[in-house]
Amino acid sequence: MTTSTRPDAPDREADVVELLIGQHMQIRDLFTEVQSAADEQRADAFARLVRLLAVHETAEEIVVHPAARRGIESGNDIVADRLAEEREAKEQLARLESLGTDDPDFLPGLALLRVAVLEHAHHEEAYEFRYLRQHYDADQLRSMAELVRTAEQAAPTHPHPGTESAAADLAEGPATALFDRVKDAVRSTMADQGK
Amino acid sequence: MSFNPLEHRGIPLDRQVRNWRELDVEPIDPDGTDPYTRCRIITMNGIEVEAVMFSHQFARNCLDIEVSKQLAEVRYLEQQQQKAVNWLLPGASSALETTIAYEQVAVDLTAWVARMEPDPYLKQAYQFGVLEDFDHLYRYANLYEMIQRRKAQKIVDDLTEVIPGRPTKYHHRHPADNVRAPYDRSTAAPISKLHALTIMSAEQQTMNFYMNVGPEYMEPIARQLYQEIGLIEEEHVTHYESLVDPGETWWERLVNHEYNECYLYYSFMETESDPRIKAIWELHLNMELEHLHLACDLMRSYDEREPEEVLAPELPAPVTFEPNKEYLRELLDTQIDLTTLGTGYVQEAHERFEAMQDALMGGELPPSERVIDMHREQYGTDYRHSTDGEHPVPELRQERTEVAR
Repeated sequence: MTTSTRPDAPDREADVVELLIGQHMQIRDLFTEVQSAADEQRADAFARLVRLLAVHETAEEIVVHPAARRGIESGNDIVADRLAEEREAKEQLARLESLGTDDPDFLPGLALLRVAVLEHAHHEEAYEFRYLRQHYDADQLRSMAELVRTAEQAAPTHPHPGTESAAADLAEGPATALFDRVKDAVRSTMADQGK
Repeated sequence: MSFNPLEHRGIPLDRQVRNWRELDVEPIDPDGTDPYTRCRIITMNGIEVEAVMFSHQFARNCLDIEVSKQLAEVRYLEQQQQKAVNWLLPGASSALETTIAYEQVAVDLTAWVARMEPDPYLKQAYQFGVLEDFDHLYRYANLYEMIQRRKAQKIVDDLTEVIPGRPTKYHHRHPADNVRAPYDRSTAAPISKLHALTIMSAEQQTMNFYMNVGPEYMEPIARQLYQEIGLIEEEHVTHYESLVDPGETWWERLVNHEYNECYLYYSFMETESDPRIKAIWELHLNMELEHLHLACDLMRSYDEREPEEVLAPELPAPVTFEPNKEYLRELLDTQIDLTTLGTGYVQEAHERFEAMQDALMGGELPPSERVIDMHREQYGTDYRHSTDGEHPVPELRQERTEVAR
């Protein structure tokens, strides 16, 4: 029994770095969950993992990487390395999705994806996130956080009653379509912020 | 099952150097691994670091160049062992995760040693220290949830509880009160010497680690907490190193070091759950047997004594990582309010203790208190992982604060 606190960290004042680190931890734990679950539970956990990866990677691609490019020395090169890792991970994810969670090749493929994603997350924390707070003020970090939340709303990782069918729609489609849908939602919020 | 390392020869020294491929060990999985496998890795890293630094000190005090050459040769191999062991830790784990694992080592290793130690004065020293490591685990776990948004339970599993120990703010004693009285080398049981070396080495590595990773963090509370607990590790190294009889000759100390390495690799080989890691413990045992053999030869030549005079006739029961929850709760119940005075223990906050506290606190709360306050502000409570019921000390039971929304 863990006698702590609420299941999710409060996001009342969380800035973009806290939010994204929190998502890294959720992704990490979801991988373990997919690996240890079986049958329907595995399929369900994998669907949640796909949604969370879509939310997370999209937010990073549209919000964080451009900010890193502008604000960090050698930002272009650092971001290019991250994008290459993300492309590779998306391809692996698409392959796993087409295999399905019951396929005998699913778990070995998932293990490879997991290592790639954990390393990618570690690189972001070490080479990008830690510099964001140096280069951007609290307001800028908060408005970036708002965009990350928009992405979450476009693909809820914990569907509420009533939104379940929408979440199921998203989960059933190919991961690439989900990534695009999250991207559209974030871009539209960015346009609103810019007004 | 008895094993006498003096009766075995290991791998000849000229066959012990490893190439790059052999040194390039595959790290353990940051999430799927038995937490006690990680604890054994951290322990053996501390033991190898002590082996290396001890050998350097010996060489700096050694007048015979032939001995210095032999020390250099063995030390290089110990360095390779340290690399092979510590590089088992995965790069994907943050320094704070490794820190929490270090504290799990400090808790469950020191508790085990306290349970097994036959000498009452030495036993008291371990019982006293373990309640402090236990509290450090709790403080770092609260920091972890705040900055990494994850629960320390994911690291320590259900093996070790995360609840308050002796509050960290009370660990800051006058440095002179950290010096213990040593055991007597001529009468102490061999196991007591091994225990002291083991815990001293583990705490020393913890001290080294916090000294160096603390400033890697950007969050002010993280930087400050590492400073505070880093200073307590200085106290712990003083506490444990002073248990060792300083009258032991350099030769005797070298033999004790090598023997202890054999003992620990043997112990972990016997108790390891991961077959791949077990094979490393076995390989290193076979290297250490030869290091011990050479150390024994030096002792015979230069000390003109038989190593058997100072060593146990066979290895003691294997050092075992296992839950110590009940034992720790008993200590919390009976020893929470102890501090040291001279080489003994008292319950009152004496003058020298108060003077040190005043000088250090400067009228403010220390980082170890602020980290909990900050966690309460954000989450409504502190973080705990409590598996065995209420805290045995009523004043240390969990409070809930209203979170401002």
